[in-house]
Amino acid sequence: MSITKPEILKLANLAKLRFSDEELDRFISEFDQIIAFADTINQSVEGGTDEIRSVSSPLVSHEELREDEVLPSLPNEKILSNVEGENGFFSVKRSKNERSDF
Amino acid sequence: MREVIFELSNKLRKGDISSVELTKEYIRSIEETNPKINAYVHSTFDYALDRAKNADDMLKEGKGSLLCGVPMTLKDNICTDGLETTCCSRILDGYRPYYDATVWEKLKNHGAVLLGKTNMDEFAMGSTSETSCYGPPLNPRNTDHVTGGSSGGGAAAVSANMAAYALGSDTGGSIRQPASFCGIVGLKPTYGAVSRYGLIAYGSSLDQIGPLTLSVMDAAIVFDVIKGFDNRDQTSSKHDYGDIIKAFNGDIKGKKIGVAQEYFDGINNEIKSRVLDAIKLFERNGAEIIDIKLPQLKQALPVYYILACAEASSNLGRYDGIRYGHRTTFYDSIEDMIYKTRSEGFGMEVKRRIMLGTYVLSSGYYDAYYKKACIIREQITKGFDDIFNKCDVLIAPTAPDTAFPLNYKGQSPVDMYLSDICTVPVNIAGIPAVSIPCGIDKKGLPIGMQIIGKKFDEAAILNMAYFYEQNGNVGIEQGGMAL
Repeated sequence: MSITKPEILKLANLAKLRFSDEELDRFISEFDQIIAFADTINQSVEGGTDEIRSVSSPLVSHEELREDEVLPSLPNEKILSNVEGENGFFSVKRSKNERSDF
Repeated sequence: MREVIFELSNKLRKGDISSVELTKEYIRSIEETNPKINAYVHSTFDYALDRAKNADDMLKEGKGSLLCGVPMTLKDNICTDGLETTCCSRILDGYRPYYDATVWEKLKNHGAVLLGKTNMDEFAMGSTSETSCYGPPLNPRNTDHVTGGSSGGGAAAVSANMAAYALGSDTGGSIRQPASFCGIVGLKPTYGAVSRYGLIAYGSSLDQIGPLTLSVMDAAIVFDVIKGFDNRDQTSSKHDYGDIIKAFNGDIKGKKIGVAQEYFDGINNEIKSRVLDAIKLFERNGAEIIDIKLPQLKQALPVYYILACAEASSNLGRYDGIRYGHRTTFYDSIEDMIYKTRSEGFGMEVKRRIMLGTYVLSSGYYDAYYKKACIIREQITKGFDDIFNKCDVLIAPTAPDTAFPLNYKGQSPVDMYLSDICTVPVNIAGIPAVSIPCGIDKKGLPIGMQIIGKKFDEAAILNMAYFYEQNGNVGIEQGGMAL
């Protein structure tokens, strides 16, 4: 199965990524190979998806959950130390296409 | 230098050398070697010297454990409070976490000395460390070749005497394969044995932190400190390991070693022959060899890439330029800012994996890929369970080839994915495995052998590895330890 340009663009939109035209052309041919590789999974499964019982990882046990108690949070000023912050909030530039009446 | 933790620790305790002096020696070694190898991407020398002073005080007070005062390094995806941690990605450029990963918190309490953060594939996505935004680390055995990946910088640092040990992370082989390529020991612990709190997530149901060391005993010493329950990681286990170090007796008589032909299909002949020689050595010394079948092995690669990429596409959704790391300069709207930030910040391999993950989780494809991968994952896990009802350990090559030349597989992503065939099954099943050097090929590049065990049986695989290290006659020039 070959993936089409509109399908790739839809995926890119879901993933919040943009590609230049040049990147997109390269990406489509690579992605075809990657999908063909992922498709080999379908050669190896006997029976249908009816047999599927659970999609959670069998490695994880949720039998013991920790107590639901309030613990101290990380300090606000530390969390804001990596980016522009204003009055204790993350801030971004006002953009021309955004509503200004918030 | 090239001294094991045990020896360094003895010298520190006896007062033959102080931690500050030892740390300065490692700093000199990094300053001399790193420009050629590119193993470190962020150095923390001032911090290391402060930690070393603190370790010297602990040693004087008789409080230090085996790791006290011993200089080491962390992979660039393990968070350290106030110290740059970037996953070797532009999108986390300049990011300084505001908390310590549990593993670093534990090591700090033991007096560990952090020299810096080591190079890796961007977000741990790769098998050569070439997808790093800082350029690839080079293999200290031969700088025309890759270190392997994704914990390539850590493997190179330990191999080239730039750290006594390193912590890496292993999602599909990222500790074992670079350990194999650089001729050192790499332990991927049981899923849940070591807390993942503070490890920047790639494939959360597969990721596990573990040590890269010069010797098997060193791997056990580090594992002993970093393992243990952590209520900040929901998948952390309360398993009681007892005394791992005391389990080292080198006794392999009567141990049952499983050998699955499927692990040797398509493997380079020199690697095959060295691993089979090692198996014969175990047999001559009283182990029983059992031929087993693992037909599920051929399904492991697509299962791994579907699950890992699905989890990655969700985990990497958080990089939007708002809370940390890179943010694009010019944008028309918040939506535009997020698109531009992510498109500028992520490298091509990360984008490929996010796209594949988005594809297998998207409407119409979820059942055909993600759900099927989950079912086969259960079958693979059961296949290993059946094997470990009959065998104590399983022995296999760590990788189908020795270290590739630089940029060798850069043209085809799928060719690169296929090179993970020997390592990914272990992550899918959540079981432990250790890679140890078992010789060199004609080009002088190290060959790695993988010893795989059942869940929480790190003691069995490490003991088997220890026997081989002591008796396998693999000297330092052959990629092993000088004993």
